[in-house]
Amino acid sequence: MNQLILQQGAAKELAHFPHILEFALKKNNTIQLNSFNSNVADCICLYYILEGKFSWIIDSQQHTLYPGDFAVVLPGQRIGGESGILNIGALFWIKISTEDCGKLLLGKWSGLTKKEKLSINQILLVNKQQLVLKLKEAHTLMHNLQLELQNEEVGFYTRTNQLLDELFVLISRQLIRQNNSRRDFPQTFLKLEQTLRQNLAHQWTVEEMAALIGMGTTAFTEKVKNYSGFSPLNYLINIRITEATKLLKKNQVNVTDIALNTGFYSSQHFSTTFKKLTGYTPSEFRKNKTSDHQHTS
Amino acid sequence: MNCIIIIEMGTAAVRVFAFDLSGNLISSSKGHYPTFHEQPDHSEQDPEQMFITMLYILKNLLIEKIYPKKYTVTCICFGSSMHSLLAVDKDGIPLGNAITWADNRGKKEAAELKQSSLGEEIYKATGTPIHPMSSLIKIAWMKNHEPEKFRLARKFMPIKTYIIQQLTGACVIDYSIASATGLMNIHNLTWDQAALNFAGITPDELPDLHPVFYSGITLKKEYQRVLKLSPTVKILIGSSDGCLATLGAGVWDNGMATITIEDSGAFRIIGDKIIEDPKQQIFNYLLTEKHIITGGPTSNGGVIFNWFTKQFGDFQKAFDVDQSMEMLIEEAADAEVGSGGLIFLPFLHGERAPIWNPNSRGCYFGINIRHERKHFIRATIEGILYEMYSIGRTLEKHRHIDSLSINGSFASIPFCTQIIADIFNKPVSTLNYGDSIGKGAFLLSATEMGIYPSLEEASKTVTMHQTYLPNAQNHQVYTQYFKVFESLITKVADEFDAISDLQERYSQ
Repeated sequence: MNQLILQQGAAKELAHFPHILEFALKKNNTIQLNSFNSNVADCICLYYILEGKFSWIIDSQQHTLYPGDFAVVLPGQRIGGESGILNIGALFWIKISTEDCGKLLLGKWSGLTKKEKLSINQILLVNKQQLVLKLKEAHTLMHNLQLELQNEEVGFYTRTNQLLDELFVLISRQLIRQNNSRRDFPQTFLKLEQTLRQNLAHQWTVEEMAALIGMGTTAFTEKVKNYSGFSPLNYLINIRITEATKLLKKNQVNVTDIALNTGFYSSQHFSTTFKKLTGYTPSEFRKNKTSDHQHTS
Repeated sequence: MNCIIIIEMGTAAVRVFAFDLSGNLISSSKGHYPTFHEQPDHSEQDPEQMFITMLYILKNLLIEKIYPKKYTVTCICFGSSMHSLLAVDKDGIPLGNAITWADNRGKKEAAELKQSSLGEEIYKATGTPIHPMSSLIKIAWMKNHEPEKFRLARKFMPIKTYIIQQLTGACVIDYSIASATGLMNIHNLTWDQAALNFAGITPDELPDLHPVFYSGITLKKEYQRVLKLSPTVKILIGSSDGCLATLGAGVWDNGMATITIEDSGAFRIIGDKIIEDPKQQIFNYLLTEKHIITGGPTSNGGVIFNWFTKQFGDFQKAFDVDQSMEMLIEEAADAEVGSGGLIFLPFLHGERAPIWNPNSRGCYFGINIRHERKHFIRATIEGILYEMYSIGRTLEKHRHIDSLSINGSFASIPFCTQIIADIFNKPVSTLNYGDSIGKGAFLLSATEMGIYPSLEEASKTVTMHQTYLPNAQNHQVYTQYFKVFESLITKVADEFDAISDLQERYSQ
């Protein structure tokens, strides 16, 4: 592994990228005093650990970083090694300048939409106390960034900035997941299911469901999908048809009431949805239920 | 191109697999359904929700993944977890939820029957250990505690029968699932009169018994239409998760056994004879009347490490239980073999084989001042695996075993696989594919379709991925600690009862 330290103003590789203040791949073989003194960052500093064990203090919190760990330091935060020392090991770092006196973290270089930039801003700032992540996926990104900067192959300008965008998206998504770290998602999900069943007639939206268990919609949708195999709305439809099936099997309730009780907005809507899945219209299903039994008994 | 669809009604989710006729997995999909615990010992699932979920997943898989690739479905085969029970009324309508295998409400009924000579007779006839998991005990419990529901019930069936009945109209059960109800006489392949008497039911209150190759049922027209399936699609009744996993584990040879550890786990062998165990510690379930799956289940597999992770794992960096678990395993690898003499009894859920004691509980034993966090992590893992060893040794009293194949998400963590090899002092192989239940169901279907001449030949096509060899030195250490593990369990038997009583009385 060759070491590499590119600094804005000195390195020609960064000439096209005024926002990249520094890009480094450092292999540290010796312990030296004052090699990593604590100071306040005036830009975004991103660190990815390749080898070794690093003891750092970020905003007066002690962190031990291992390979695969990623640290994000925002403008105004303080970072330094324990006793001002950079431990033995290897790491990547990149420093990126911000715009509007640090208010907008991702500058004009970024291809993300304004809305996306604002959400990333928000996510990073909200999680400012917990910016050490497990992020093995960042390894490839950092490595590719290095290749783009060094090789300057065709399209490197766009590629480099895209990789940076990708890195910020990755960090933000990981923060969302981590922020919603549920020790017991199945338990949380079961509670949600019970709440939905209790009030099935309500026109639930994904936002409402997510808010119910204190998650953002994106993370919520992803987590539900991963856990249940269904998107939140499809899971809800599933419960609706389940409950409707039960009511249809009891002959007392009429089909329109069943539709409304289980959250379909009309008997037509109920009928179409039910038939699409089961092949029966609700009234056919009800008739069939009794004739079925006569076959088998 | 033709393909085979497998529908596996698992404990927490339905899995649907599509295989081509050479056994390659084309696609698979899962849909989760919840388990409800209205009371501490209760564990129930909603049969309609399971059906709708299955239908939804099946339909989406066919329409999104299978038909676009120009596959034609020729066969649909069913697998399912064992021991579930659903009562339906005269119109075939469920009387409440299905009760799962994990439900312990029939503890008292089971304990009483187990101590009687009738219990011994029923165990010998049915091959199912007397335990609240079985349909036998669940029905007896309903008779005693919910007489009105019991009176209204026209049929008692496992969830698999209900699902097939919704799709086809037929009320049928296969030998594998039936042999795990505690109600089927596995020697003469009929419902067992003594067991039925104890449960208080007659044979016509149960589904019709069929071999696992039975295919005399057809999909209702509505489902043919909505699933875009031809009326000629073969509907194969199939088998149970345990029997299918054993078939899919490639352990047909004498001398081989398979270990499955997911949330719960089992140690299983396959043979042509029922193995009778005077201590009633092992089960005999039928794959066919000539292929008997014998083994022992544990209720305390990966679910225990999952519990440990939720309580003591690091959730600062990890974003979910899986990642936190990975970090714990890295830490455990740092502790010495045998966890410096820290021993863990993993019976947080009570235990089935080999002690069959729902009152047993967990315990860390031998803690000294030098034990660190990493020792507790490692001891937890080793304890779960000692328990599997203790089931394995029960089976080894009846059969010489010289190698193992493993499956299930917990057992196939490389760190765990190596410990299994070391504890058992036998080579342990991992399989080439993730899901041995799906694979087993494919092999069963393909045999029925004539692609393989027999189940033996089908099972021989299973290939092993990687073999972990035992380390003799580590085995030495584990053997000595295991002695303590084993004797500890018998020594605290009375205290298990006492503490579980107190827990019942005082916990909220």
